[in-house]
Amino acid sequence: MEIIRTIPMLLLCLLLPLMASSQSRVDQCLTCHETLGDKPSELFRRDVHFQKGVSCAGCHGGDASAEEMEQAMATEKGFIGVPKGDGISNACARCHSNATIMVKQFNSTLPRNQLEVLSASVHGKLSTTGKEHIAQCTTCHDAHGIVSTKEPGSPVFPLNVTKTCAKCHADAAFMRMYNPALPIDQLDKYRASVHGMKNAHGDVKVAACASCHGSHDIRSASDVKSRVYALNLPTTCGACHANAKYMKGYRIPTDQVKRFSSSVHGKALLEKHDLGAPACNDCHGNHGAAPPGVESISKVCGTCHALNATLFASSPHKKAFDKRRLPECETCHGYHEIVAATDDLLGVSPEATCSRCHRENQNAKGYLAAKTMRHLIDSLESSEKRADSLVADAEQKGMEVSEARFKLRDARQARLQSRTMVHAFNEEKFREVIGAGLNVSSIVAGEGQAAVDEYFFRRWGLGVATLIITIVAGSLYLTIRMIEKTQERQK
Amino acid sequence: MNGADSRNSDKGKRDFLKYVLGGGLLAWVGSVFYPLFAYLKPPKQAEVEVSSVKVGKLSEIEKDSGTIVRFGNKPVILVRTASGEMRAFSATCTHLDCTVQYQKDMGVIWCACHNGKYDLNGRNVSGPPPRPLDEFKVILQGEEVSISKNA
Amino acid sequence: MTKLWIKLYRWVNERVHLEDLVEFLGKKYVPVHSHSVWYYFGGVSLFLFIIQVVTGILLLLYYKGSEQLAFESIQFIMSKVEFGWLIRSIHSWAANLFVLSAMIHMFSVYFTKAYRNPREMTWLTGMLMFFLALGFGFSGYLLPWNELAFFATKVGTDIAGVLPIIGEPIMIFLRGGEEVTGATLSRFFGFHVAVLPGIFTVLLGIHLILVQRQGMSEPIDVENSPTAERKAMPFFPNFLLRDLLFWLLVLNLLAILAVFFPWELGKKADLFAPAPAGIRPEWYFMFMFQTLKYIPAQLWIVDGEVFGIMAFGIAGLLWTLVPFWDRKSSRGEKNLLITYSGMFAVMYIIILTILGWRS
Repeated sequence: MEIIRTIPMLLLCLLLPLMASSQSRVDQCLTCHETLGDKPSELFRRDVHFQKGVSCAGCHGGDASAEEMEQAMATEKGFIGVPKGDGISNACARCHSNATIMVKQFNSTLPRNQLEVLSASVHGKLSTTGKEHIAQCTTCHDAHGIVSTKEPGSPVFPLNVTKTCAKCHADAAFMRMYNPALPIDQLDKYRASVHGMKNAHGDVKVAACASCHGSHDIRSASDVKSRVYALNLPTTCGACHANAKYMKGYRIPTDQVKRFSSSVHGKALLEKHDLGAPACNDCHGNHGAAPPGVESISKVCGTCHALNATLFASSPHKKAFDKRRLPECETCHGYHEIVAATDDLLGVSPEATCSRCHRENQNAKGYLAAKTMRHLIDSLESSEKRADSLVADAEQKGMEVSEARFKLRDARQARLQSRTMVHAFNEEKFREVIGAGLNVSSIVAGEGQAAVDEYFFRRWGLGVATLIITIVAGSLYLTIRMIEKTQERQK
Repeated sequence: MNGADSRNSDKGKRDFLKYVLGGGLLAWVGSVFYPLFAYLKPPKQAEVEVSSVKVGKLSEIEKDSGTIVRFGNKPVILVRTASGEMRAFSATCTHLDCTVQYQKDMGVIWCACHNGKYDLNGRNVSGPPPRPLDEFKVILQGEEVSISKNA
Repeated sequence: MTKLWIKLYRWVNERVHLEDLVEFLGKKYVPVHSHSVWYYFGGVSLFLFIIQVVTGILLLLYYKGSEQLAFESIQFIMSKVEFGWLIRSIHSWAANLFVLSAMIHMFSVYFTKAYRNPREMTWLTGMLMFFLALGFGFSGYLLPWNELAFFATKVGTDIAGVLPIIGEPIMIFLRGGEEVTGATLSRFFGFHVAVLPGIFTVLLGIHLILVQRQGMSEPIDVENSPTAERKAMPFFPNFLLRDLLFWLLVLNLLAILAVFFPWELGKKADLFAPAPAGIRPEWYFMFMFQTLKYIPAQLWIVDGEVFGIMAFGIAGLLWTLVPFWDRKSSRGEKNLLITYSGMFAVMYIIILTILGWRS
């Protein structure tokens, strides 16, 4: 009878280990905690780490093979309990930053510098307790149900990432602790944007938080290394928008970055590093990105080009353009490929913008106005040039004309101001500005000419004086000779 | 030629020479005194107008006003704030070199060309100017206001 | 015309008795020999001094001697005052020609040993006037208050300050303070238009009276030659007319220089700016300046610069006192030592000046 009882026991003893190993390795922690019914172990079944054969002890330490709690959760076996603060990220980094484990053991192509990069990012700063980073790995990736970021279940999957970031960034009370000046309405704005609306409808290609801001390497927008720093922004936007293959199906152009880079704004920003120049977000918005509407273009441009916008708004072009649904500033100046405006834009010649709508027999009033204004500005330019060359000539000749040179500044200033005044499309006002400039340059030209004339007068004067002196000297010499001859004779 | 003739021709030569010398001397005196008298006549701009330093009396400068003053070859704007303080800055806009002006209603130093604005400390606060305006020193000696370079 | 002059002369003569003077002047003769051309240079120097006084007074009418306005007032004269450019350029060029002419005059007197007995006082007053002329040049150079002048004055007064014991007080006296400032400008202006002209005029008066009383000196070999062979011309009208002719040509030269080589103004002095490249003293100081550059920093226990200044001081003193230690010339004997040391001095000055310009 004993033999009959021991055989099943023996079999059980033999089979149990086999049964245990058929559970993809020994994970007594999971076995026990599952029977306890706690959430983490429930989630862990779906976890990618579980699929790869990592046990609970892989993160928590301890002995996963031990059945008894004291042995399994023994600190001698490395058990750390529930890690807190930086202990969390350090636990993840123990494998994820280790090349031997990641590459050799798991054949992973994942990067291994996440913790390093995170520590240098804005989220790597110390939290209000002063004892750990603001964000840990689990803040964004969850703790137990971690799946690949490419899986829809991941909290950082494009369709979910907005909610994940908003957990902190839309919480006013929370953000107040770190940066009260930082807005918390990004998500709301985003939802109103093209990107946000498409994202809400399940488009995973379109930009979400991490696409622009990065993941581990998020830096403040004023940090020069940030992906959304003004100088870097065109490249960040261009990562998608300049990629024709990626943008296939969206039916918008992909040459914006190229055009922008050759524009006056792009050159100022990217070549001269002038932070006053607009990057993509200055015209399109940050989170509420959308191209400005037809009637509001001048308002957008007008945030910097205020004078031009004000003049345009009260000019006859405003109504005319709105009626024809013409995009205000863009009509004459373009949008991405804006080049520095020259006088050539004005006038009635074929390459002038005015001639696109104004012909001699079409919109004739404007045609005449454009023609006159171009003529006026050309006359100011030539008048200024003439005055400048006269003064330069006098300077070359060594004459003192510093005051005339000083006055000439006003002529140049009048020309600059007239280029702004064009936007009123009002011949009278334009004439006024030009008139002041013409006045100054004619005065300066007069002074320059006078200086040049004086130069020649001096030489003529010297010639005359020398002639007189020569006559006097000659006759004086002859007189001396005559006197001495007389003296000789008298002797 | 006999003696009398040669003496006559000599006399003729002497007289001619005297006239030439006398006339030439007269012309020479004229060519010396004409510039002298022209020099002594005060020129139209009666005085050295360079306000490279002196601006005028404190009592003549209104509160909450600004004037442009020529400092050597450059324009300088002298601002007297509403509270009576005197400040001076380079009046050349740091954007494209237009001459700035004081805008009473906006309470700023304004550039008419492209709407650049500077606060009353010369700092660029709005519009295209990339840099603040250089500051100049305002010196008060009794009632006399003068401007000098900030050392 | 002549009758009018005669009437005027008679009227003055009745009251002052000019006949003696006129007789004396009528008897004045100027020796004629191979070196008599040098006689003109005293007169040319006098003429140039008169030009300086006249143009200087004219400039005074428009020049403003304060730190704020000096530079601009000269800009004003050059551009706004009619013929101001002419007066200013003539004043600057004549200053240089004046020093040059004075040097030629001094060396020609030296080589012909005209300083010998009885003309020692003429030489002394002449030497003092020469030093004053250098002072005129140094003080006048600062008056436009431009960059180069400011730094040249700084360097020049620094050198004066190097002398032991007396150097520092002299420097502070010259500068009107520790540094070169507007106070220095005021002082230099005062020296240039009042102090130096006053002293110079007194010395000039003595110098001219002595020349009138003693007549022109002849070179020793001419003096020793028989009377029959010595030629002379009357001062009135011969020498005077020739003199005037020479003066006329010098005046024309000044006008040509003023028109074709106008004197520059440069940049206004900025007390806080660093020294620009190319500061140099005027040419008549160059040889001393260049010499100081060649002296090593330390010579036995004496500082190099002090040694240089003392050396020039002693050389100048010896030169000034030459009538008293040149015994041979007083006796009417040839003195080759004097001639050779004079030639050395001329060569030294010329070579060092050229070296200074080229560096």
